Amino acid sequence: MKKLKMIVIAILITMILPIAVFAAGSADVEVDESATVSIEFWHAMSGARVDLIQGIVDKFMAENPNIKVDVQYTGSYNDTLNKVKSAYKAGNAPDVFHSYEIGTLGLINSGIISPLDQIAKKFNREIPWDDFFTPVQSYYKYQGDHYSMPFNSSTPLIFYNKTFFEKAGLDPDNPPKTYEDIRAAAVKLQAAGYKTPVTWNLHSWYFEQMICLQDAPFVNDKNGRSGKLPTEVVFNGEAGQNVLNWWVGMEKDGLFLDVGPGWSNHRAAFGSGEVAIVMSSSSDVNRLTEALADKGWEMGTGYIPRPAGAKGGVAIGGGSLWMTNNHTPEEELAALKLITYISEDESQIAWHKGTGYFPVRKTAMDQLKSEGWFDENPNYLTAFNQLLDSPETLNTSGGLLGIFPEARELIQSAIQEMYAGKPVKQALDEAAAKANASIAEWNEVIQ
Amino acid sequence: MKQSTFNNKYLPYVLLVPTFFILVVFLFYPAVETFRLSLFKIHPWTGAEKFAGLYNFIKIFTNGDYLRSFVLSAYFAIVVIIAGLFFSLLIAILLNQKIKGMRFYRTFLIWPYALSPAIAGALFNFLFNPANGVLCYFTGFRTWLTDEKTAIIVVIIAAVWKNLGYNIIFYLTALRNVPVSALESASIDGAGPVKRFIYITFAYLSPTTFFLFVMNTIYAYFASFGLIDVLTQGGPAGSTKVLIYYLYKDFFVHSKIGYAAAESLVLFSLVVGVTVLQFRTAGKKVHYQ
Repeated sequence: MKKLKMIVIAILITMILPIAVFAAGSADVEVDESATVSIEFWHAMSGARVDLIQGIVDKFMAENPNIKVDVQYTGSYNDTLNKVKSAYKAGNAPDVFHSYEIGTLGLINSGIISPLDQIAKKFNREIPWDDFFTPVQSYYKYQGDHYSMPFNSSTPLIFYNKTFFEKAGLDPDNPPKTYEDIRAAAVKLQAAGYKTPVTWNLHSWYFEQMICLQDAPFVNDKNGRSGKLPTEVVFNGEAGQNVLNWWVGMEKDGLFLDVGPGWSNHRAAFGSGEVAIVMSSSSDVNRLTEALADKGWEMGTGYIPRPAGAKGGVAIGGGSLWMTNNHTPEEELAALKLITYISEDESQIAWHKGTGYFPVRKTAMDQLKSEGWFDENPNYLTAFNQLLDSPETLNTSGGLLGIFPEARELIQSAIQEMYAGKPVKQALDEAAAKANASIAEWNEVIQ
Repeated sequence: MKQSTFNNKYLPYVLLVPTFFILVVFLFYPAVETFRLSLFKIHPWTGAEKFAGLYNFIKIFTNGDYLRSFVLSAYFAIVVIIAGLFFSLLIAILLNQKIKGMRFYRTFLIWPYALSPAIAGALFNFLFNPANGVLCYFTGFRTWLTDEKTAIIVVIIAAVWKNLGYNIIFYLTALRNVPVSALESASIDGAGPVKRFIYITFAYLSPTTFFLFVMNTIYAYFASFGLIDVLTQGGPAGSTKVLIYYLYKDFFVHSKIGYAAAESLVLFSLVVGVTVLQFRTAGKKVHYQ
């Protein structure tokens, strides 16, 4: 009996060993590109965007008949990440998944992903990074390597009701640019009968962006990009206080309507004419233009405001596509082809037109320009220009932080405390202290 | 009639297998696993574990925010239970009359229970949200959900309303079972309607009240998640962040698996503890027929 077992094992070893050796030796270059593979792709874009992504992937499959892609909408970014986590532990993680930008440092250190540039190099595939807009690709670049493929990109914008501006005696073609401008416009609008003329939803994203606008970092260690894990947040510095002194100050003076968290309330307030100025994502251009057009009002867009003289710029928001590790070379190559395809001009133009997120590549942008797309939709250009006018610094590349989702919660909670009367500096310092405690724990656990 | 018997010694076990399978996979195993995980520091992505003893428990109980949530949950539970039982008993008594169209009223009063918490939350959001809430418009007061003092009140009202139907069904059935003879003899002895209610009706209702007490405790601690997520997301400034919401955030958003395991054990022991306490104290005064 024992002897038989030994023989079986010996046979197995002789059969498997060459395959293993062969596989290890060849993975770097040679893969059978025509082999049939099926891969999974999980994304976090709901509603009409589900069909849009399916459409892009269908085209990809038509061009690559040997690759079958199973696309699934897996809920919000957060839900998607949770599903990826459990799937990874169970050994059936999707080949490609979609994450928000603030998940970047967490994913880089997660131990479950394959860095994009590394995979591209493995198969000798060149990704034309020069063709990507600098702010877009520099956000996802860490220590010289790109870890994921930029996909849906947006920045916040100011949206204002031109019709109301005219009624209040403001110049409808000259959007407010600084904190003082917004406040002055709000005072004038209020005098013209718009009770609380400004709002945006309670979201830390605006706060982060307005820190970038002052060219200040969000976390230490070169805004989290030094290669070391950042150990402290610095959002409670002068830049952060500037933002909130102004923002919360307007709320205190009855110029700003607190509509709470979520993405529907401020849109509703803007669409119903309750408020005349909102801040929202550039991917809202379509939606808000239509909402105002329904009422016969005209909408304008502008850069998000800064303290007069601030020299920074916006950082990219949105999401990117990641590849998980532990897949066969064939699957890796198929995944690489898929995400490259999604970043190419044709897909990006379809994506931009369908959603309002902007294309990540310059060639796609040039094509849209020559089509005359921006003559018809000038508000889309605002978001672009805002991004391209941003200087490239470590601060405008965007802060990286492992516990970013938690930091956002803390900031949002702090802002609500400020609305209720807590001094700005005190509330920010307390939020920062809590964030720092969590960072210390995270850094310990992640290593 | 001869009662049929099973002579096969193994048959009962075979019949129990499906139930046990479900219990073990979906209840016992996760419970044991939670117990174990609460003693570890856990990598948020790979799940790699490092033993940490009571670290997670010490950390959550020295965290001011968690303690605040603990007290808030107790307050929330007490108000929801008392208000819930009071109003449902009141409505059940009103429903226990012979008036025209009673079945119609009954159906509509029980209806809220059929809604999922998220839908109930959406309805209240429709009434109270600061941008275009109907009640904000009519009352001229728009900070219902964005003011710390009122947000918790809205959440409590929603939670009570949502569970009214459940309580009403049980109270109504119990009221039907109060023997008329007992009430009549009390009348003859000269007891007025109030005394009749307190000494006769309410005594007969005590088993139901006790049962609902336990069920509402569980409801208040565990089932409020959907409402809060839709209405306030725990805000403003943590003023509606009850334990179950805190736990959700720590696990699903912040990926603090060890903390979340410890927090769910706290929640578990809390509800078990409260229930045992109720059996020891109020349970002894319950009069079963």
